[in-house]
Amino acid sequence: MTIAPTSLTEVAPAGGPGSVAFHRTRILRLPRSPKVIAGLVIMGLFGVVAVIGRWAAPYSPNATDEKNWVQHVLVAGTGPGTPFPANYYPLPLPPSAAHWLGTTVFAQDALSQVLASTQATLFVGLLAAAIATVLSVLFGVTAGYVGGGTDEGLSLVANVFLAIPGLPLLIVLADYVPSAGSSILLVGAIIAVTTWAYSARTLRAQTLSLRNRDFVEAARVSGEGRLRIIMVEVLPNLVPIVAASFLFTTLAAIGAYVAIAFLGLAGSPTSYPPGLWNWGEMLREGFANNAVRGGWWWWWAPPGIAVALLGTGLALLNFGIDEFINPRLRSAGLSRKAARKAGISASSRLGLTPVARSVWDAPSPASKVAHASAADPVLEIRGLCVDYGVGDDAVHAVMDCDLVLRRGQVLGLAGESGSGKTTLALSAIRLLRPPGVITAGQVLFHSKPISGDGPTGTIDLLAAGQRQLREVRWSEIAVVLQSALDSLNPVITIGAQFDDLLRVHRPHLSHDERWNRAGELLEMVGMNADRLRSYAHELSGGMRQRAMIAMAIALEPQVIILDEPTTALDVVTQREILEELIGLRDRIGFATLFITHDLSLLVELADEIAVMYAGRLMERAPAASLFHAPRLPYTHGLLHCFPPLHGARVAMEGIPGSPPDLRDLPSGCAFHPRCRWAMQRCSEERPQLAQLNGSDREVACWLHAGDAVVPAELAQPDPASRRPERMDAATRVSEL
Amino acid sequence: MNGTAPVESTTHTAAVLEGRELTKSFWVKRGRGPLARKARVHAVESVTVRLDAGKVTALVGESGAGKTTIARMLANIIKPDTGEVLLDGVPAPKGRPKSYAAKVQMVFQDPFASLNPVHRVRHQLVRPLEIHHIADGHVEQAAEELLRRVALEPAAHYLRKFPYELSGGQRQRVSIARALAVRPRVLLADEPVSMLDVSIRLGVLNLLADLRDREHLAILYVTHDIASARYLADTIIVMYAGQLVEAAPSVSLTDHAAHPYTQLLLSAAPDPDRGEAPKLAGRGGPPSLLAPPSGCRFHPRCPYAMDICKRQVPPSFAVSSGHIAACWLHADSAQRGADENGLFRPVADHSAKTQ
Ligand SMILES: Nc1ncnc2c1ncn2[C@@H]1O[C@H](COP(=O)(O)OP(=O)(O)OP(=O)(O)O)[C@@H](O)[C@H]1O
Ligand code: SF4
Ligand code: SF4
Ligand SMILES: [Mg+2]
Repeated sequence: MTIAPTSLTEVAPAGGPGSVAFHRTRILRLPRSPKVIAGLVIMGLFGVVAVIGRWAAPYSPNATDEKNWVQHVLVAGTGPGTPFPANYYPLPLPPSAAHWLGTTVFAQDALSQVLASTQATLFVGLLAAAIATVLSVLFGVTAGYVGGGTDEGLSLVANVFLAIPGLPLLIVLADYVPSAGSSILLVGAIIAVTTWAYSARTLRAQTLSLRNRDFVEAARVSGEGRLRIIMVEVLPNLVPIVAASFLFTTLAAIGAYVAIAFLGLAGSPTSYPPGLWNWGEMLREGFANNAVRGGWWWWWAPPGIAVALLGTGLALLNFGIDEFINPRLRSAGLSRKAARKAGISASSRLGLTPVARSVWDAPSPASKVAHASAADPVLEIRGLCVDYGVGDDAVHAVMDCDLVLRRGQVLGLAGESGSGKTTLALSAIRLLRPPGVITAGQVLFHSKPISGDGPTGTIDLLAAGQRQLREVRWSEIAVVLQSALDSLNPVITIGAQFDDLLRVHRPHLSHDERWNRAGELLEMVGMNADRLRSYAHELSGGMRQRAMIAMAIALEPQVIILDEPTTALDVVTQREILEELIGLRDRIGFATLFITHDLSLLVELADEIAVMYAGRLMERAPAASLFHAPRLPYTHGLLHCFPPLHGARVAMEGIPGSPPDLRDLPSGCAFHPRCRWAMQRCSEERPQLAQLNGSDREVACWLHAGDAVVPAELAQPDPASRRPERMDAATRVSEL
Repeated sequence: MNGTAPVESTTHTAAVLEGRELTKSFWVKRGRGPLARKARVHAVESVTVRLDAGKVTALVGESGAGKTTIARMLANIIKPDTGEVLLDGVPAPKGRPKSYAAKVQMVFQDPFASLNPVHRVRHQLVRPLEIHHIADGHVEQAAEELLRRVALEPAAHYLRKFPYELSGGQRQRVSIARALAVRPRVLLADEPVSMLDVSIRLGVLNLLADLRDREHLAILYVTHDIASARYLADTIIVMYAGQLVEAAPSVSLTDHAAHPYTQLLLSAAPDPDRGEAPKLAGRGGPPSLLAPPSGCRFHPRCPYAMDICKRQVPPSFAVSSGHIAACWLHADSAQRGADENGLFRPVADHSAKTQ
């Protein structure tokens, strides 16, 4: 055994200030969103009113002042000149300086009532939510964590409560419990009993999924006790969900309290024992005294608006929590304002990556690539820049990338996760979702359709409109992504998906012809035609990926983009699929952009390989040259990350450190902190991708510029120079 | 069981941890509702694994081969249906007592899932120390020392971090440090590098090699990547559909693969040095474990399948010293004994090319 203890010396640089900042922003993100701020302000106001409202109110909510404030209207047909004694009825007064919200029919100050009512209403809401949350956490977490019979029993109880309609139960309970009218504690408890089950179910499901997570298993393996696992490992992860369900229950409880008070079941301030003022009670009195028909909006509208406003506040806070739980929501979509500021075209519809307006105005960049005009290019990417987000927060995921895919060629794009491979490929065909924005560049598609009636000639995909893109996508440029399950439609059969595709793009085919064609396609990728009747979930991962490839070649496209098509698969399946893919390429003649992190695989598969690091292309060379004679230190390092399958076992180093954070890129050459051969210049100036003296390869490294001494490892003789420049497909495959 | 007794190991020391003839099946529901039928997944069938101090044993196989299930049985998280787990020759206790946890620890596949996202690194390291009353009174220093052992420095700085502030490789180092906290003698590493970036995998593998050499840990390295197993491990065990198919010292196994399935794995593995196109030895996917094929589970895919393969489970035959293969092709070579060096070569043996 010859493995030396090496790793102990290659200390990865401490996460650095960047990652600390990231943590802070994540915590601070919650109150920063305008929605959450609005929600907090609303809830804060209600909170203040709940605490001091009763004392801040200008009048007592019960005080009536009939003599001075209520207009008395003479009932028609009574009073002087009639046989009946004068009969007056009171009218509430509309808002005035003395009574900002007017008065009720009993000459009570409406504003004071609203202010005084807030306390009881909020109190019942919070109390009920607190009780319900405790109940749901107890039931949900216990059921979810313990599982088995306990789970079934507890779930049954919860389901019974869920099945009982809440409000009727509430009414019955409130009616039967004698002192309910006066005791808001009891009202709160009754509401809690009718609302806890829903959250309990959510929490059970969440706990169930947490229970099998590796970190819980790890705690178990370390000998941690069950109770502590629940309290310390599981519960903190449920906090956002508990908070969300607390807010939701508060809202539901307030709604329920208003409803039963409106029905007169929550005790009235005028009954015995007297209840407390609350919004439901105000509404009840208003409605009982014709406030709506009388047009006395100042009486019934304020409590109604208060309920609505409180609901809005809680919903906004809930939204903030959702965003916090699910970070993807946070960045979903660019705000209109931010987009306009960045000059991004308005057409940021789904499936159409937005392009900054400056891209169109800029003069088309002169081709920096010497070989671009050579050997029949089909897809030419020039100076492509892609950001995530706009303005100061933007992350530059792809910077100034030039790439040429030639007809019939396999171009490999290698790099570690986060280096921008997928972003590059998806944005080139405008499939990248917002917040991805293309900020510069050109993507020229030189179309010569293999079959069908696709467009001919050169199209700039970044300037193309929706219709033009639709013509090209899938029929001329197809994409296969890593997760085929996400790309296949789960609710219809594989056959139906082929049928849809062929019906749109090959309208002259009859139904039977389409079905037969689909069967042929499946057989081309090594699947049985019977599988047309299967649903995606009935297929194994390898079969799904095959079906996706069959769909990609269905319209005989000129270009297929494969993003880690086999990464999730076993080596044997991977090898079979790759063999089939190469066979198909030779038959149909499409060009392939093959994206993977597995450089060792590409060396066997690709004609040409481009290596990406931290958003930039750093080296591009024919596959054999790149493998046998890398010129870039990073490529050299990457090639030495794959232990060989034969020969003597020797200690290997890998590359020290870890890939950089795109938000905080090292200066100069982004690889310099990890580079064995870094020089002074490397941290100061960024090397440009440049052709290497006359050969068909490019590298971005200072070692190959000026009079730097090239280390022997990076100066191996280039095997490509001894071979014909480009082999035709047939010889290449037989050599593979 | 029909003779799966392992060949006498070449080492004379007793195994630290041994799983003997482990068999495990799971019951899964087919369909929905109360009428759902239950079906049995034969996840692991009579597999024997032994881990020695100061050695790395690799468990190689495709997904669903039962590798994780074996690691979980060895960690005493789940119980085998039949067979037993022996720690220092003593059967593993019932339940999950701390004494077992103190000797056998596990590192999980996904470093993003195996550290609790709401707790700092400090918590993740200090808890095991507290549970096992290790370093009472100076847990802080002990935690820093652990981070130093996995080459995360400055240690005090990393203690304050939350998992999401660390890179994948750093996290995996933290979870290795956590496993080391209780001073275990056995480390079960379930695909510890498969979720990591290519450029940092070797760092973690070298760390494991270092722990083996310097601290004499017995390590189980579960992986689907046979090249990394060859790099790190002393012994490789290949599994297929829940059965052990071949076990040997790692170079012997990769250079002279004796089982057709191992040969298939090797022919499919990416290998830039390969001069010519790999000829896949056999096609198709692994079988359903609900109704695994009779006899040798590999027989529907095996290019050399014989009649007996469908009828009888092949026992492990010695093909050379310390090299066993569960394949009927080696039946006569086992009888011939080790004098001819035992290796059976079918006509189109792939392993002949790899030399
Ligand atoms: N708790 C479980 N319930 C039902 N089936 C299970 C369970 N755990 C594992 N299995 C099944 O047992 C078989 C072996 O699983 P295991 O996870 O051990 O495979 P593996 O080799 O580790 O695969 P991978 O490389 O994908 O992790 C699989 O068919 C799996 O579906
Ligand atoms: S430019 Fe400098 S730091 Fe970058 S790869 Fe070349 S030598 Fe290394
Ligand atoms: S036992 Fe038979 S089927 Fe199984 S691997 Fe050997 S030859 Fe093939
Ligand atoms: Mg596994």
